[in-house]
Amino acid sequence: MSAQPNTLQKSKAKASKAPLKVVSDQTPAEASQAADLSKIAPELSGMLRVLTCGSVDDGKSTLIGRLLWDATDLYDDQRETLQRGKTVDGGNPDFSLLMDGLVAEREQGITIDIAWRYFDTATRRFVVIDSPGHEQYTRNMASGASHADVAILLVDARHGIKTQTRRHAAILDLVGVKRVILIVNKMDLVDWSESTFRKIEADFETFSWRFGFWEAKAIPTAAVSGDNVARASENMPWYPGPTLLEHLESLPSRVTEPTGPFRFPVQTVLRSSRNDFRGLAGTVSGGSVRVGETVVDALSKRSAKVLRIATMNGDLEQASQGQAVAIQLDADIDVARGAVLSKADVRPVVARVLETRMVWLSETPYDPRGSYLLRTATDLTPVSNLKIRALLDLDTLETHPSDACSANDIAIGDIALGRPAAIDTFGEAPETGSFMLVDAITGASIAGGVVTTAKSEAAAADENTFVLTRAMLERGLNSDIRDKPQSEAEFRRRANEVALILRAAGINVEIESAPDYSI
Amino acid sequence: MTQPISHLDLLEAESIHIFREAAAQFRKPVLLYSIGKDSTVLLHLARKAFWPAKLPFPVLHIDTGWKFRDMITFRDKTARDFGLDLIVHTNEDGAAKGINPIDYAPSVYTDVMKTVPLKQALDKYAFDAAFGGARRDEEASRAKERVFSFRAEGHRWDPRRQRPEMWRLLNGRLGAGETVRVFPLSNWTERDVWRYILREKLDVVPLYFAAERPTVLRNGQILMRDDDRLTLKPGEEVVNRRVRFRTLGCYPLTAAVESDAADIESVVAETLGARTSERQGRLIDHDQAGAMEKKKQEGYF
Repeated sequence: MSAQPNTLQKSKAKASKAPLKVVSDQTPAEASQAADLSKIAPELSGMLRVLTCGSVDDGKSTLIGRLLWDATDLYDDQRETLQRGKTVDGGNPDFSLLMDGLVAEREQGITIDIAWRYFDTATRRFVVIDSPGHEQYTRNMASGASHADVAILLVDARHGIKTQTRRHAAILDLVGVKRVILIVNKMDLVDWSESTFRKIEADFETFSWRFGFWEAKAIPTAAVSGDNVARASENMPWYPGPTLLEHLESLPSRVTEPTGPFRFPVQTVLRSSRNDFRGLAGTVSGGSVRVGETVVDALSKRSAKVLRIATMNGDLEQASQGQAVAIQLDADIDVARGAVLSKADVRPVVARVLETRMVWLSETPYDPRGSYLLRTATDLTPVSNLKIRALLDLDTLETHPSDACSANDIAIGDIALGRPAAIDTFGEAPETGSFMLVDAITGASIAGGVVTTAKSEAAAADENTFVLTRAMLERGLNSDIRDKPQSEAEFRRRANEVALILRAAGINVEIESAPDYSI
Repeated sequence: MTQPISHLDLLEAESIHIFREAAAQFRKPVLLYSIGKDSTVLLHLARKAFWPAKLPFPVLHIDTGWKFRDMITFRDKTARDFGLDLIVHTNEDGAAKGINPIDYAPSVYTDVMKTVPLKQALDKYAFDAAFGGARRDEEASRAKERVFSFRAEGHRWDPRRQRPEMWRLLNGRLGAGETVRVFPLSNWTERDVWRYILREKLDVVPLYFAAERPTVLRNGQILMRDDDRLTLKPGEEVVNRRVRFRTLGCYPLTAAVESDAADIESVVAETLGARTSERQGRLIDHDQAGAMEKKKQEGYF
């Protein structure tokens, strides 16, 4: 870990030695200004993605609009546009217009899709992900939340915690959000009452403890007037805590240090005749790896040492979570897209059966005979069987047995894979433990979910299961691609398609795995 | 303790990840190159994503015939320097009919000379994915755009039929007739683009830097008279002004700003302190309410 600052500094130092390519005529004095890069355009030392969720009437768009208005670098023309528009209570501009984008939505007066906004404070980039509050848009909220580091739950001080608030907390927990902020808004409409706020705060604590949140904080605000948004409220002297902005600035930034076991899902293989380069391109999704360390491909069980960690800005000694690199190994093991490299001692499961929780995203309900594919980090695997076991009741947070599932449901289900894939549990390694369920015919994203248990044994052998062997495929369909670059990825792609066609014809199919190279 | 990775490092890694996912999942991608600063960053990130291998896809420029001359020079030099497989496509039919940005309404011109030829080129070469430099911070309707933005047959964008995206997973499996636009710069802001150009020392079109240029004042906007096709209206005169451009497009539709920022450092300094958003200089966007959303539904990038 300690080597990383060095590698980062080294690559930057190297870049600054390159000749300055500026097209304008420069005097030497002007050119020397380039040294002051850090003054002209300071890089922000971190990023925080903030999800906002709440009911339509709680004033969510107004809250974020107000935050942008008070705390950020809004452009003058954006301010003018707002001031030209109609005003709301007290003659304030309608701040929600800064958030509500599409014409269709403005006409309906509701937010139907997640919107992304960006603003900077002196040291940090904030990304605001605004998600719809309506019950029928649970799926939009879940997809928005999956990108967030922290979530703002918004309630109206007059109404307190609603069923909706509990639903939202459950969704945040499902997709892995660890920090939440409860904004008790419209405090002006309850006479800035401390007891009202304290009661809501207590109600929140009675249910939030049962989720896996690391931190949950309540803040009383009035978004229309800006109280406790970016400016401490004079109307609520009884509240000693931070404003929303202060609190957001105090939270740890996205990806500051590698966590969890090393995982490197291979995206593609890069080849260059220069130095006979064959690099595995990908983003480190957990932990870190150093040159010289031994890594393993869980699927083929083959291992090799890391020879180089290559980037266009120069080689690195170490690659950590979040970095996009190309790893060159010291042995030419046939690793293709879909493989996940790990250290030998903490490998992902070579999984055949998954126990999962998922949000059903599609308008089309679950079909036990549907053709589905499972998209994991970089793999796409045919699903040989998807069985819905239960639905989560978001109001009571209890599960009820069910074999049906439709849009906005949160389902507990088992997924049997047509061939093994390298998968983790979500709690252990989130990026290799989450998935999208894809409709094999339309390509649509059907559900998004997390793996709670990954099992390596094959699904209960079904007498009617047809095994698509490699020999069978090599003889005919795949005879043209043996021993060609990328052959394993293409081999697998074709096998997937055959499996899907057979499955559509009612035949359960399994694909024989790639040869096992372990001794 | 590990030194925190800067926000530009995070954005760069995310963009590289998106490029690699798209190149691995789509059969025949293309990078839509519009020569401006966003395209410059886009191209640089693409080169990083596949380095030391060559770009595994061609680069497409839709030429309206009305781009600034400096842009075309820069485009051809860039293609040579990086060994790009550059495809230039123009709607010959529209050009033959004399559709131009001066006599026609911006909406008509954009459709005939930008949207139509883009569709023509995508169909002609059967590209199933096109990388673009659009950012979510540019405009309200883009704030909701996906990284993989799906287009139905005929390249139509239907905001209600976009696929949810979760975590870092990108689902690029296409349905019948579908194509996709890929936006690796989705989470970048205008300021990030400039910061990154400065950090990576990227070459950009000289029009971004202030210089004495022949200009005409029209409807309160400063236009550069890049050639004599921009005929003068009664009362107008060509005046040399020290101007630069915050965004580049067809010259009669791209307003200049008066500026002394003649090098990359002062441009970045000026941009970071700017008071108006960049699209204010693009005349097409002010044409009608929800202009961008409408253009997108029709297939504009």
